[in-house]
Amino acid sequence: MERRPARRSVVGMIEIEHLTKRYGKKTAVDDLTFAVKPGVVTGFLGPNGAGKSTTIRAIVGLDAPTAGLARVNGKHYSEFRSPLTEVGALLEAKSVHAGRSAYKHLLALARTHGIPTRRVHEVIDLVGLHEVAGKRVGGFSLGMGQRLGIAVALLGDPAVLILDEPVNGLDPDGVKWIRLLLKGLAAEGRTVFLSSHLMSELAQTAEHLIVIGQGRLLADTTVDDFVSGSGQSRVRVVSPDAARLAEHLAGPGVSIASPERGVLEVSGTEAAVVGQTAAAHGLVLHELRTDRGSLEDAFMQLTADAVEYRNTLEGAK
Amino acid sequence: MTAAAMTDRPAYAPKGEYRLTGAGLLRSEWTKLWSLRSTWIVLLCAVVFAGGLGALISGSVPTDQGFSGADMSLGFAMAGVSLSSVFIAVLGILTVTGEYSTGSIRSTMSAAPRRLSVLWSKAAVYGAVVAALFTVMVFATFFLSQALFDGTALGGISVGDDGVLGALLGYVAMIVYLALLAIAIGAILRNSAGSIGFYIGVIMILPELATLLPWNWVSDVTPYAPGNVPNTLLLVDTSQGTLGVGESWLWMGVWLVVAYGLAAVLLKRRDV
Repeated sequence: MERRPARRSVVGMIEIEHLTKRYGKKTAVDDLTFAVKPGVVTGFLGPNGAGKSTTIRAIVGLDAPTAGLARVNGKHYSEFRSPLTEVGALLEAKSVHAGRSAYKHLLALARTHGIPTRRVHEVIDLVGLHEVAGKRVGGFSLGMGQRLGIAVALLGDPAVLILDEPVNGLDPDGVKWIRLLLKGLAAEGRTVFLSSHLMSELAQTAEHLIVIGQGRLLADTTVDDFVSGSGQSRVRVVSPDAARLAEHLAGPGVSIASPERGVLEVSGTEAAVVGQTAAAHGLVLHELRTDRGSLEDAFMQLTADAVEYRNTLEGAK
Repeated sequence: MTAAAMTDRPAYAPKGEYRLTGAGLLRSEWTKLWSLRSTWIVLLCAVVFAGGLGALISGSVPTDQGFSGADMSLGFAMAGVSLSSVFIAVLGILTVTGEYSTGSIRSTMSAAPRRLSVLWSKAAVYGAVVAALFTVMVFATFFLSQALFDGTALGGISVGDDGVLGALLGYVAMIVYLALLAIAIGAILRNSAGSIGFYIGVIMILPELATLLPWNWVSDVTPYAPGNVPNTLLLVDTSQGTLGVGESWLWMGVWLVVAYGLAAVLLKRRDV
Protein backbone atom coordinates (compact mmCIF):
# COMPACT_ATOMS: atom_id res chain seq x y z
CA MET A 1 0.00 0.00 0.00
CA GLU A 2 0.98 3.54 -0.64
CA ARG A 3 2.58 5.14 2.39
CA ARG A 4 1.33 8.50 3.44
CA PRO A 5 2.59 10.86 6.10
CA ALA A 6 0.11 11.78 8.82
CA ARG A 7 -2.00 14.31 6.98
CA ARG A 8 -3.27 17.02 9.29
CA SER A 9 -4.56 18.90 6.30
CA VAL A 10 -7.28 16.33 5.67
CA VAL A 11 -9.14 17.05 8.90
CA GLY A 12 -12.65 17.92 7.91
CA MET A 13 -12.09 16.92 4.30
CA ILE A 14 -14.37 14.58 2.44
CA GLU A 15 -12.42 13.03 -0.42
CA ILE A 16 -14.04 11.02 -3.16
CA GLU A 17 -11.57 9.37 -5.52
CA HIS A 18 -12.63 7.60 -8.70
CA LEU A 19 -15.71 6.32 -6.91
CA THR A 20 -17.73 3.87 -8.96
CA LYS A 21 -20.77 1.98 -7.74
CA ARG A 22 -22.72 -0.48 -9.82
CA TYR A 23 -25.88 -2.27 -8.75
CA GLY A 24 -26.02 -5.23 -11.07
CA LYS A 25 -25.81 -3.71 -14.55
CA LYS A 26 -26.90 -0.26 -13.48
CA THR A 27 -24.09 2.19 -12.82
CA ALA A 28 -25.21 4.58 -10.11
CA VAL A 29 -21.92 6.41 -9.68
CA ASP A 30 -19.33 6.52 -12.42
CA ASP A 31 -15.69 7.40 -11.66
CA LEU A 32 -16.57 10.33 -9.44
CA THR A 33 -13.77 12.44 -7.97
CA PHE A 34 -14.16 15.53 -5.81
CA ALA A 35 -13.29 16.93 -2.41
CA VAL A 36 -15.34 18.85 0.12
CA LYS A 37 -13.60 21.42 2.31
CA PRO A 38 -14.38 22.52 5.84
CA GLY A 39 -15.75 25.92 6.78
CA VAL A 40 -18.22 26.32 3.93
CA VAL A 41 -21.54 24.79 3.03
CA THR A 42 -21.04 22.62 -0.04
CA GLY A 43 -24.08 21.71 -2.06
CA PHE A 44 -24.35 18.36 -3.80
CA LEU A 45 -26.62 18.94 -6.72
CA GLY A 46 -28.13 16.63 -9.25
CA PRO A 47 -31.45 15.43 -10.61
CA ASN A 48 -33.18 12.53 -8.88
CA GLY A 49 -31.31 9.33 -9.58
CA ALA A 50 -28.04 11.11 -10.33
CA GLY A 51 -26.18 9.12 -7.67
CA LYS A 52 -26.18 11.58 -4.77
CA SER A 53 -27.56 9.17 -2.18
CA THR A 54 -25.31 6.37 -3.43
CA THR A 55 -22.27 8.61 -3.01
CA ILE A 56 -23.34 9.54 0.52
CA ARG A 57 -23.99 5.91 1.40
CA ALA A 58 -20.48 5.08 0.19
CA ILE A 59 -19.01 7.85 2.35
CA VAL A 60 -20.61 6.50 5.53
CA GLY A 61 -19.69 2.92 4.69
CA LEU A 62 -23.18 1.56 4.09
CA ASP A 63 -22.43 0.64 0.48
CA ALA A 64 -19.07 -0.73 -0.60
CA PRO A 65 -17.76 0.99 -3.75
CA THR A 66 -17.34 -1.18 -6.83
CA ALA A 67 -14.12 0.78 -7.42
CA GLY A 68 -12.42 3.83 -5.99
CA LEU A 69 -12.79 5.12 -2.47
CA ALA A 70 -14.44 7.60 -0.21
CA ARG A 71 -12.59 9.05 2.76
CA VAL A 72 -13.35 11.46 5.54
CA ASN A 73 -10.54 13.03 7.59
CA GLY A 74 -8.19 10.89 5.54
CA LYS A 75 -9.74 7.64 6.67
CA HIS A 76 -12.26 5.18 5.43
CA TYR A 77 -15.43 5.47 7.52
CA SER A 78 -15.08 1.98 9.01
CA GLU A 79 -11.65 2.88 10.43
CA PHE A 80 -13.14 5.40 12.85
CA ARG A 81 -12.94 4.48 16.51
CA SER A 82 -15.90 6.72 17.22
CA PRO A 83 -17.75 7.34 13.94
CA LEU A 84 -20.54 9.46 15.43
CA THR A 85 -18.05 12.05 16.66
CA GLU A 86 -16.24 12.19 13.32
CA VAL A 87 -19.12 12.31 10.86
CA GLY A 88 -22.77 13.17 11.42
CA ALA A 89 -25.01 11.88 8.68
CA LEU A 90 -28.63 12.45 7.83
CA LEU A 91 -29.47 9.55 5.57
CA GLU A 92 -32.77 8.99 3.81
CA ALA A 93 -35.44 10.70 5.84
CA LYS A 94 -36.55 7.89 8.08
CA SER A 95 -33.70 5.70 9.21
CA VAL A 96 -35.61 5.06 12.41
CA HIS A 97 -37.76 2.23 13.70
CA ALA A 98 -41.34 3.51 13.43
CA GLY A 99 -42.27 1.93 16.76
CA ARG A 100 -39.55 3.67 18.75
CA SER A 101 -39.77 7.15 20.24
CA ALA A 102 -37.45 9.88 19.00
CA TYR A 103 -35.83 10.03 22.42
CA LYS A 104 -35.15 6.29 22.60
CA HIS A 105 -33.80 6.26 19.05
CA LEU A 106 -31.30 8.97 19.94
CA LEU A 107 -30.56 7.33 23.28
CA ALA A 108 -29.81 3.96 21.64
CA LEU A 109 -27.37 5.62 19.25
CA ALA A 110 -25.82 7.74 22.01
CA ARG A 111 -25.18 4.66 24.15
CA THR A 112 -23.03 3.00 21.48
CA HIS A 113 -20.51 5.81 22.01
CA GLY A 114 -21.11 6.50 25.69
CA ILE A 115 -22.63 9.88 24.85
CA PRO A 116 -24.49 11.13 27.94
CA THR A 117 -28.28 11.64 28.05
CA ARG A 118 -27.60 15.35 28.63
CA ARG A 119 -26.37 15.55 25.05
CA VAL A 120 -29.45 13.67 23.80
CA HIS A 121 -31.72 16.28 25.40
CA GLU A 122 -29.50 19.01 23.99
CA VAL A 123 -29.92 17.91 20.37
CA ILE A 124 -33.66 17.31 20.87
CA ASP A 125 -34.02 20.91 22.01
CA LEU A 126 -31.75 22.16 19.25
CA VAL A 127 -33.95 20.68 16.50
CA GLY A 128 -37.17 21.66 18.23
CA LEU A 129 -38.55 18.18 18.90
CA HIS A 130 -38.93 18.64 22.65
CA GLU A 131 -42.73 18.33 22.60
CA VAL A 132 -42.82 15.08 20.64
CA ALA A 133 -39.60 13.38 21.76
CA GLY A 134 -41.52 10.73 23.71
CA LYS A 135 -43.86 9.88 20.81
CA ARG A 136 -43.43 6.99 18.41
CA VAL A 137 -41.65 8.06 15.24
CA GLY A 138 -44.22 6.26 13.08
CA GLY A 139 -46.61 9.17 13.67
CA PHE A 140 -44.09 11.83 12.68
CA SER A 141 -44.52 14.04 9.65
CA LEU A 142 -41.73 14.04 7.09
CA GLY A 143 -40.56 17.36 8.48
CA MET A 144 -40.36 16.00 12.03
CA GLY A 145 -38.52 12.96 10.70
CA GLN A 146 -35.99 15.29 9.08
CA ARG A 147 -35.51 17.17 12.33
CA LEU A 148 -34.89 13.88 14.11
CA GLY A 149 -32.39 12.92 11.41
CA ILE A 150 -30.58 16.20 11.94
CA ALA A 151 -30.55 15.56 15.69
CA VAL A 152 -28.92 12.19 14.98
CA ALA A 153 -26.31 13.87 12.78
CA LEU A 154 -25.47 16.42 15.48
CA LEU A 155 -25.49 13.89 18.35
CA GLY A 156 -21.75 13.25 18.47
CA ASP A 157 -20.95 16.94 17.78
CA PRO A 158 -18.95 15.95 14.69
CA ALA A 159 -16.76 18.21 12.60
CA VAL A 160 -18.18 16.79 9.38
CA LEU A 161 -21.88 16.83 8.56
CA ILE A 162 -23.36 15.01 5.59
CA LEU A 163 -27.04 15.58 4.95
CA ASP A 164 -29.04 13.87 2.23
CA GLU A 165 -31.90 16.11 1.09
CA PRO A 166 -32.39 17.71 4.51
CA VAL A 167 -34.94 20.21 3.23
CA ASN A 168 -37.38 17.58 1.95
CA GLY A 169 -40.69 17.85 3.74
CA LEU A 170 -39.79 20.86 5.86
CA ASP A 171 -42.24 23.75 6.03
CA PRO A 172 -41.01 27.27 5.10
CA ASP A 173 -40.11 27.94 8.74
CA GLY A 174 -38.16 24.74 8.88
CA VAL A 175 -36.35 25.53 5.64
CA LYS A 176 -35.31 28.90 6.99
CA TRP A 177 -34.26 27.30 10.26
CA ILE A 178 -32.07 24.67 8.63
CA ARG A 179 -30.48 27.23 6.33
CA LEU A 180 -29.38 29.27 9.35
CA LEU A 181 -28.33 26.16 11.23
CA LEU A 182 -26.13 24.88 8.43
CA LYS A 183 -24.52 28.25 7.78
CA GLY A 184 -23.84 28.55 11.50
CA LEU A 185 -22.28 25.10 11.63
CA ALA A 186 -20.05 25.89 8.66
CA ALA A 187 -19.08 29.19 10.25
CA GLU A 188 -17.79 27.21 13.25
CA GLY A 189 -15.35 25.58 10.89
CA ARG A 190 -17.27 22.40 10.27
CA THR A 191 -17.63 20.67 6.94
CA VAL A 192 -21.22 20.82 5.77
CA PHE A 193 -22.13 18.76 2.73
CA LEU A 194 -25.76 18.65 1.74
CA SER A 195 -27.45 17.12 -1.25
CA SER A 196 -30.48 18.49 -2.97
CA HIS A 197 -32.23 18.35 -6.29
CA LEU A 198 -33.57 21.83 -5.54
CA MET A 199 -31.22 24.36 -7.09
CA SER A 200 -33.02 27.30 -5.53
CA GLU A 201 -32.44 25.87 -2.07
CA LEU A 202 -28.72 25.38 -2.57
CA ALA A 203 -28.36 28.83 -4.13
CA GLN A 204 -29.37 30.32 -0.80
CA THR A 205 -27.44 27.99 1.47
CA ALA A 206 -24.31 26.74 -0.26
CA GLU A 207 -21.18 28.55 -1.30
CA HIS A 208 -19.60 25.70 -3.18
CA LEU A 209 -21.28 23.26 -5.53
CA ILE A 210 -20.64 19.74 -6.68
CA VAL A 211 -22.98 18.96 -9.55
CA ILE A 212 -23.50 15.42 -10.81
CA GLY A 213 -25.68 13.81 -13.42
CA GLN A 214 -25.89 10.12 -14.26
CA GLY A 215 -23.30 9.46 -11.60
CA ARG A 216 -20.68 11.66 -13.29
CA LEU A 217 -19.18 14.91 -12.13
CA LEU A 218 -20.59 17.83 -14.12
CA ALA A 219 -19.21 20.74 -12.14
CA ASP A 220 -17.10 21.42 -9.05
CA THR A 221 -17.22 25.16 -8.54
CA THR A 222 -18.54 28.03 -6.45
CA VAL A 223 -22.18 28.98 -6.73
CA ASP A 224 -21.24 32.36 -8.22
CA ASP A 225 -18.99 30.87 -10.88
CA PHE A 226 -21.56 28.24 -11.65
CA VAL A 227 -24.17 30.83 -12.49
CA SER A 228 -21.93 33.28 -14.34
CA GLY A 229 -20.01 30.57 -16.14
CA SER A 230 -23.13 28.99 -17.46
CA GLY A 231 -23.33 31.31 -20.47
CA GLN A 232 -26.78 32.29 -19.40
CA SER A 233 -26.06 35.94 -18.71
CA ARG A 234 -27.04 38.25 -21.54
CA VAL A 235 -27.59 41.90 -22.21
CA ARG A 236 -31.06 43.17 -22.91
CA VAL A 237 -31.30 46.35 -24.98
CA VAL A 238 -34.36 48.37 -25.86
CA SER A 239 -33.71 50.82 -28.62
CA PRO A 240 -35.67 52.47 -31.44
CA ASP A 241 -32.56 51.83 -33.53
CA ALA A 242 -32.35 48.16 -32.65
CA ALA A 243 -31.73 46.95 -36.16
CA ARG A 244 -28.78 49.26 -36.75
CA LEU A 245 -27.37 48.56 -33.30
CA ALA A 246 -27.51 44.85 -34.06
CA GLU A 247 -25.43 45.36 -37.19
CA HIS A 248 -22.74 47.17 -35.20
CA LEU A 249 -22.71 44.63 -32.37
CA ALA A 250 -22.45 41.60 -34.61
CA GLY A 251 -19.12 39.85 -34.43
CA PRO A 252 -17.45 36.56 -33.59
CA GLY A 253 -18.78 34.99 -30.36
CA VAL A 254 -21.66 37.41 -30.14
CA SER A 255 -25.17 36.16 -30.70
CA ILE A 256 -28.10 38.48 -31.00
CA ALA A 257 -31.77 37.67 -30.77
CA SER A 258 -34.71 39.97 -31.15
CA PRO A 259 -37.69 38.60 -29.26
CA GLU A 260 -39.80 41.61 -30.24
CA ARG A 261 -39.50 44.78 -32.32
CA GLY A 262 -37.04 47.20 -30.79
CA VAL A 263 -35.64 44.70 -28.28
CA LEU A 264 -32.33 42.86 -28.51
CA GLU A 265 -30.98 40.09 -26.35
CA VAL A 266 -27.23 39.97 -26.79
CA SER A 267 -25.04 37.30 -25.36
CA GLY A 268 -21.30 36.94 -25.61
CA THR A 269 -20.61 40.53 -24.75
CA GLU A 270 -21.12 43.00 -21.91
CA ALA A 271 -23.50 45.87 -21.22
CA ALA A 272 -20.58 48.34 -21.25
CA VAL A 273 -19.59 47.28 -24.75
CA VAL A 274 -23.15 47.62 -25.99
CA GLY A 275 -23.44 51.08 -24.45
CA GLN A 276 -20.16 52.23 -25.97
CA THR A 277 -21.13 50.89 -29.36
CA ALA A 278 -24.43 52.73 -29.24
CA ALA A 279 -22.76 55.95 -28.16
CA ALA A 280 -20.07 55.67 -30.85
CA HIS A 281 -22.77 55.48 -33.52
CA GLY A 282 -25.14 57.96 -31.95
CA LEU A 283 -27.88 55.42 -31.36
CA VAL A 284 -30.57 56.02 -28.75
CA LEU A 285 -31.03 53.50 -25.95
CA HIS A 286 -34.17 53.25 -23.83
CA GLU A 287 -33.01 50.39 -21.71
CA LEU A 288 -29.75 48.55 -21.12
CA ARG A 289 -29.62 45.73 -18.61
CA THR A 290 -27.68 42.56 -17.84
CA ASP A 291 -29.83 39.49 -17.18
CA ARG A 292 -28.02 37.09 -14.90
CA GLY A 293 -29.16 33.53 -15.40
CA SER A 294 -30.56 31.81 -12.35
CA LEU A 295 -28.87 28.84 -10.78
CA GLU A 296 -31.90 26.94 -11.92
CA ASP A 297 -31.21 27.83 -15.55
CA ALA A 298 -27.56 26.94 -15.22
CA PHE A 299 -28.41 23.63 -13.66
CA MET A 300 -31.02 22.77 -16.25
CA GLN A 301 -28.59 23.57 -19.05
CA LEU A 302 -25.83 21.51 -17.49
CA THR A 303 -27.93 18.46 -16.76
CA ALA A 304 -30.23 18.62 -19.77
CA ASP A 305 -28.26 15.99 -21.65
CA ALA A 306 -28.05 13.69 -18.66
CA VAL A 307 -31.77 13.86 -17.94
CA GLU A 308 -32.72 13.52 -21.57
CA TYR A 309 -30.50 10.50 -22.02
CA ARG A 310 -31.92 8.79 -18.99
CA ASN A 311 -35.49 9.51 -20.01
CA THR A 312 -34.79 8.00 -23.40
CA LEU A 313 -33.31 4.94 -21.80
CA GLU A 314 -36.24 4.45 -19.47
CA GLY A 315 -38.69 5.10 -22.27
CA ALA A 316 -37.04 2.35 -24.30
CA LYS A 317 -37.54 -0.26 -21.59
CA MET B 1 -33.69 31.66 19.14
CA THR B 2 -31.84 29.21 16.97
CA ALA B 3 -28.99 31.60 16.41
CA ALA B 4 -28.63 32.05 20.17
CA ALA B 5 -28.66 28.31 20.69
CA MET B 6 -25.94 28.04 18.08
CA THR B 7 -23.53 30.46 19.73
CA ASP B 8 -24.25 28.92 23.14
CA ARG B 9 -23.10 25.54 21.93
CA PRO B 10 -20.13 24.24 23.86
CA ALA B 11 -16.84 24.03 22.03
CA TYR B 12 -16.02 20.75 20.33
CA ALA B 13 -15.81 17.80 22.62
CA PRO B 14 -12.17 16.84 22.74
CA LYS B 15 -11.49 13.76 20.67
CA GLY B 16 -11.48 10.62 22.73
CA GLU B 17 -14.27 11.66 25.07
CA TYR B 18 -16.82 9.48 23.31
CA ARG B 19 -15.84 6.06 22.04
CA LEU B 20 -17.64 3.27 20.31
CA THR B 21 -17.27 0.34 22.71
CA GLY B 22 -18.57 -3.20 23.06
CA ALA B 23 -20.25 -2.27 26.33
CA GLY B 24 -21.84 0.69 24.58
CA LEU B 25 -23.22 -1.54 21.85
CA LEU B 26 -24.68 -3.92 24.45
CA ARG B 27 -26.37 -1.03 26.25
CA SER B 28 -27.63 0.28 22.92
CA GLU B 29 -29.16 -3.07 21.98
CA TRP B 30 -30.72 -3.31 25.44
CA THR B 31 -32.30 0.14 24.94
CA LYS B 32 -33.49 -0.80 21.47
CA LEU B 33 -35.01 -4.09 22.66
CA TRP B 34 -37.07 -2.58 25.47
CA SER B 35 -38.10 0.60 23.66
CA LEU B 36 -40.43 -1.28 21.31
CA ARG B 37 -43.95 -2.17 22.31
CA SER B 38 -43.72 -5.41 20.33
CA THR B 39 -41.04 -6.73 22.70
CA TRP B 40 -43.32 -6.40 25.70
CA ILE B 41 -46.30 -7.88 23.88
CA VAL B 42 -44.46 -10.86 22.44
CA LEU B 43 -42.65 -11.67 25.70
CA LEU B 44 -45.92 -11.41 27.59
CA CYS B 45 -47.48 -13.85 25.10
CA ALA B 46 -44.52 -16.20 25.58
CA VAL B 47 -44.86 -16.08 29.37
CA VAL B 48 -48.63 -16.58 29.31
CA PHE B 49 -48.29 -19.48 26.86
CA ALA B 50 -45.46 -21.14 28.75
CA GLY B 51 -47.10 -20.96 32.17
CA GLY B 52 -50.75 -20.98 31.19
CA LEU B 53 -50.65 -23.85 28.73
CA GLY B 54 -48.44 -25.85 31.09
CA ALA B 55 -50.93 -25.36 33.91
CA LEU B 56 -53.93 -26.02 31.68
CA ILE B 57 -52.51 -29.28 30.35
CA SER B 58 -51.19 -30.40 33.74
CA GLY B 59 -54.56 -29.73 35.31
CA SER B 60 -56.51 -31.72 32.73
CA VAL B 61 -54.39 -34.86 32.26
CA PRO B 62 -56.72 -37.86 32.70
CA THR B 63 -55.68 -39.96 35.70
CA ASP B 64 -56.97 -43.26 34.28
CA GLN B 65 -54.61 -43.50 31.31
CA GLY B 66 -51.68 -44.84 33.25
CA PHE B 67 -49.42 -41.83 32.64
CA SER B 68 -46.50 -41.87 35.01
CA GLY B 69 -42.84 -41.08 35.33
CA ALA B 70 -40.74 -37.95 35.43
CA ASP B 71 -40.33 -37.63 31.64
CA MET B 72 -44.03 -37.80 31.01
CA SER B 73 -44.70 -35.40 33.85
CA LEU B 74 -42.23 -32.88 32.47
CA GLY B 75 -43.53 -33.42 28.94
CA PHE B 76 -47.03 -32.31 29.96
CA ALA B 77 -45.79 -29.48 32.16
CA MET B 78 -43.41 -28.05 29.57
CA ALA B 79 -45.68 -28.30 26.52
CA GLY B 80 -46.35 -24.59 26.83
CA VAL B 81 -42.66 -23.77 27.18
CA SER B 82 -41.90 -25.64 23.95
CA LEU B 83 -44.70 -23.86 22.11
CA SER B 84 -43.73 -20.44 23.39
CA SER B 85 -40.38 -20.88 21.69
CA VAL B 86 -42.21 -19.74 18.54
CA PHE B 87 -42.84 -16.35 20.13
CA ILE B 88 -39.24 -16.13 21.26
CA ALA B 89 -37.96 -17.03 17.81
CA VAL B 90 -40.26 -14.56 16.07
CA LEU B 91 -39.15 -11.75 18.39
CA GLY B 92 -35.52 -12.72 17.84
CA ILE B 93 -36.03 -12.51 14.08
CA LEU B 94 -37.79 -9.15 14.42
CA THR B 95 -34.93 -7.60 16.41
CA VAL B 96 -32.91 -7.92 13.20
CA THR B 97 -35.41 -7.76 10.35
CA GLY B 98 -37.34 -4.93 11.99
CA GLU B 99 -34.24 -2.78 11.57
CA TYR B 100 -34.08 -3.56 7.87
CA SER B 101 -37.80 -3.04 7.19
CA THR B 102 -37.85 0.34 8.95
CA GLY B 103 -34.46 1.54 7.77
CA SER B 104 -33.10 1.98 11.29
CA ILE B 105 -30.33 -0.43 10.29
CA ARG B 106 -28.75 2.54 8.46
CA SER B 107 -28.51 4.46 11.74
CA THR B 108 -27.26 1.38 13.55
CA MET B 109 -24.56 0.56 11.02
CA SER B 110 -23.38 4.13 10.60
CA ALA B 111 -22.78 4.19 14.36
CA ALA B 112 -20.95 0.83 14.23
CA PRO B 113 -19.51 0.58 10.73
CA ARG B 114 -17.66 -2.68 11.34
CA ARG B 115 -21.08 -4.24 11.65
CA LEU B 116 -20.22 -7.60 13.21
CA SER B 117 -20.19 -6.24 16.75
CA VAL B 118 -23.83 -5.27 16.23
CA LEU B 119 -24.72 -8.88 15.47
CA TRP B 120 -22.84 -10.20 18.50
CA SER B 121 -24.42 -7.55 20.74
CA LYS B 122 -27.92 -8.33 19.56
CA ALA B 123 -27.37 -12.04 20.14
CA ALA B 124 -25.81 -11.50 23.58
CA VAL B 125 -28.51 -9.14 24.85
CA TYR B 126 -31.45 -11.12 23.52
CA GLY B 127 -29.92 -14.45 24.54
CA ALA B 128 -29.39 -13.16 28.09
CA VAL B 129 -32.92 -11.78 28.34
CA VAL B 130 -34.42 -15.04 27.09
CA ALA B 131 -32.19 -17.09 29.42
CA ALA B 132 -33.24 -15.06 32.47
CA LEU B 133 -36.92 -15.02 31.58
CA PHE B 134 -37.15 -18.71 30.81
CA THR B 135 -35.13 -19.83 33.79
CA VAL B 136 -37.90 -18.24 35.83
CA MET B 137 -40.68 -19.57 33.60
CA VAL B 138 -39.41 -23.14 33.42
CA PHE B 139 -39.03 -23.49 37.17
CA ALA B 140 -42.29 -21.66 37.91
CA THR B 141 -44.14 -23.89 35.48
CA PHE B 142 -42.50 -27.00 36.93
CA PHE B 143 -43.54 -26.18 40.50
CA LEU B 144 -47.03 -25.17 39.36
CA SER B 145 -47.50 -28.43 37.47
CA GLN B 146 -46.20 -30.46 40.38
CA ALA B 147 -48.77 -28.78 42.62
CA LEU B 148 -51.46 -29.76 40.11
CA PHE B 149 -50.12 -33.33 39.72
CA ASP B 150 -50.00 -33.77 43.49
CA GLY B 151 -51.41 -37.16 44.46
CA THR B 152 -51.30 -38.57 40.89
CA ALA B 153 -48.72 -40.85 39.32
CA LEU B 154 -47.20 -37.75 37.63
CA GLY B 155 -46.66 -35.95 40.93
CA GLY B 156 -44.06 -36.25 43.65
CA ILE B 157 -41.14 -35.27 41.44
CA SER B 158 -38.48 -33.11 43.01
CA VAL B 159 -35.84 -30.89 41.38
CA GLY B 160 -33.32 -32.95 43.34
CA ASP B 161 -34.35 -36.19 41.61
CA ASP B 162 -31.88 -37.72 39.20
CA GLY B 163 -31.89 -35.85 35.86
CA VAL B 164 -34.78 -33.49 36.66
CA LEU B 165 -32.67 -30.38 37.16
CA GLY B 166 -30.75 -31.22 33.98
CA ALA B 167 -33.97 -31.58 32.00
CA LEU B 168 -35.34 -28.28 33.31
CA LEU B 169 -32.11 -26.50 32.40
CA GLY B 170 -32.30 -28.34 29.09
CA TYR B 171 -35.57 -26.52 28.33
CA VAL B 172 -33.89 -23.19 29.11
CA ALA B 173 -30.95 -24.14 26.88
CA MET B 174 -33.28 -25.12 24.04
CA ILE B 175 -35.16 -21.81 24.15
CA VAL B 176 -31.95 -19.79 24.23
CA TYR B 177 -30.51 -21.87 21.37
CA LEU B 178 -33.63 -21.30 19.24
CA ALA B 179 -33.62 -17.57 20.09
CA LEU B 180 -29.99 -17.30 18.92
CA LEU B 181 -30.70 -19.35 15.80
CA ALA B 182 -33.63 -17.06 14.99
CA ILE B 183 -31.44 -13.93 15.19
CA ALA B 184 -28.94 -15.47 12.77
CA ILE B 185 -31.74 -16.43 10.38
CA GLY B 186 -33.04 -12.86 10.54
CA ALA B 187 -29.55 -11.54 9.80
CA ILE B 188 -29.15 -13.88 6.83
CA LEU B 189 -32.55 -13.30 5.23
CA ARG B 190 -33.12 -9.68 6.41
CA ASN B 191 -36.83 -9.97 5.72
CA SER B 192 -39.45 -10.56 8.43
CA ALA B 193 -41.91 -12.71 6.51
CA GLY B 194 -39.18 -14.75 4.84
CA SER B 195 -37.32 -15.36 8.08
CA ILE B 196 -40.40 -16.32 10.09
CA GLY B 197 -41.56 -18.56 7.27
CA PHE B 198 -38.15 -20.21 7.09
CA TYR B 199 -38.02 -20.69 10.84
CA ILE B 200 -41.46 -22.25 11.12
CA GLY B 201 -41.19 -24.24 7.90
CA VAL B 202 -37.61 -25.47 7.96
CA ILE B 203 -36.66 -25.44 11.63
CA MET B 204 -39.96 -26.44 13.21
CA ILE B 205 -42.11 -28.39 10.74
CA LEU B 206 -39.80 -29.95 8.15
CA PRO B 207 -38.03 -32.38 10.54
CA GLU B 208 -41.42 -33.57 11.77
CA LEU B 209 -42.80 -34.06 8.27
CA ALA B 210 -39.61 -35.73 7.11
CA THR B 211 -40.18 -38.66 9.46
CA LEU B 212 -43.21 -39.55 7.34
CA LEU B 213 -41.01 -40.12 4.29
CA PRO B 214 -40.46 -43.79 3.35
CA TRP B 215 -36.65 -43.68 3.22
CA ASN B 216 -34.63 -44.96 6.14
CA TRP B 217 -31.80 -42.47 5.74
CA VAL B 218 -34.24 -39.66 6.46
CA SER B 219 -34.93 -40.90 9.95
CA ASP B 220 -31.17 -41.31 10.44
CA VAL B 221 -30.66 -37.67 9.59
CA THR B 222 -33.61 -35.93 11.24
CA PRO B 223 -32.18 -36.07 14.79
CA TYR B 224 -29.38 -33.82 13.52
CA ALA B 225 -31.77 -31.23 12.09
CA PRO B 226 -31.27 -27.80 13.72
CA GLY B 227 -34.69 -27.88 15.36
CA ASN B 228 -34.20 -31.39 16.77
CA VAL B 229 -30.70 -31.35 18.22
CA PRO B 230 -31.70 -30.01 21.66
CA ASN B 231 -34.33 -32.75 22.19
CA THR B 232 -32.12 -35.05 24.24
CA LEU B 233 -31.45 -32.28 26.75
CA LEU B 234 -35.16 -32.13 27.56
CA LEU B 235 -35.20 -35.69 28.92
CA VAL B 236 -34.90 -36.73 32.54
CA ASP B 237 -33.64 -40.11 31.34
CA THR B 238 -31.25 -38.92 28.64
CA SER B 239 -30.42 -42.48 27.59
CA GLN B 240 -33.79 -42.46 25.78
CA GLY B 241 -32.61 -39.72 23.43
CA THR B 242 -31.57 -40.38 19.83
CA LEU B 243 -28.44 -38.32 20.44
CA GLY B 244 -26.21 -38.40 23.49
CA VAL B 245 -26.09 -35.33 25.75
CA GLY B 246 -22.62 -34.41 24.49
CA GLU B 247 -23.69 -34.88 20.87
CA SER B 248 -26.71 -32.70 21.50
CA TRP B 249 -24.56 -29.83 22.80
CA LEU B 250 -22.05 -30.37 19.99
CA TRP B 251 -24.68 -30.14 17.27
CA MET B 252 -26.32 -27.09 18.80
CA GLY B 253 -22.88 -25.51 18.65
CA VAL B 254 -22.33 -26.65 15.09
CA TRP B 255 -25.61 -25.17 13.86
CA LEU B 256 -24.98 -21.88 15.66
CA VAL B 257 -21.48 -21.63 14.20
CA VAL B 258 -22.84 -22.36 10.72
CA ALA B 259 -25.70 -19.87 11.05
CA TYR B 260 -23.61 -17.08 12.58
CA GLY B 261 -20.72 -17.73 10.22
CA LEU B 262 -23.00 -17.26 7.24
CA ALA B 263 -24.72 -14.26 8.83
CA ALA B 264 -21.35 -12.62 9.59
CA VAL B 265 -19.95 -13.14 6.09
CA LEU B 266 -23.11 -11.76 4.50
CA LEU B 267 -23.25 -8.83 6.91
CA LYS B 268 -19.72 -7.84 5.97
CA ARG B 269 -20.16 -8.33 2.24
CA ARG B 270 -23.60 -6.95 1.54
CA ASP B 271 -24.52 -3.29 1.30
CA VAL B 272 -26.74 -2.18 4.13
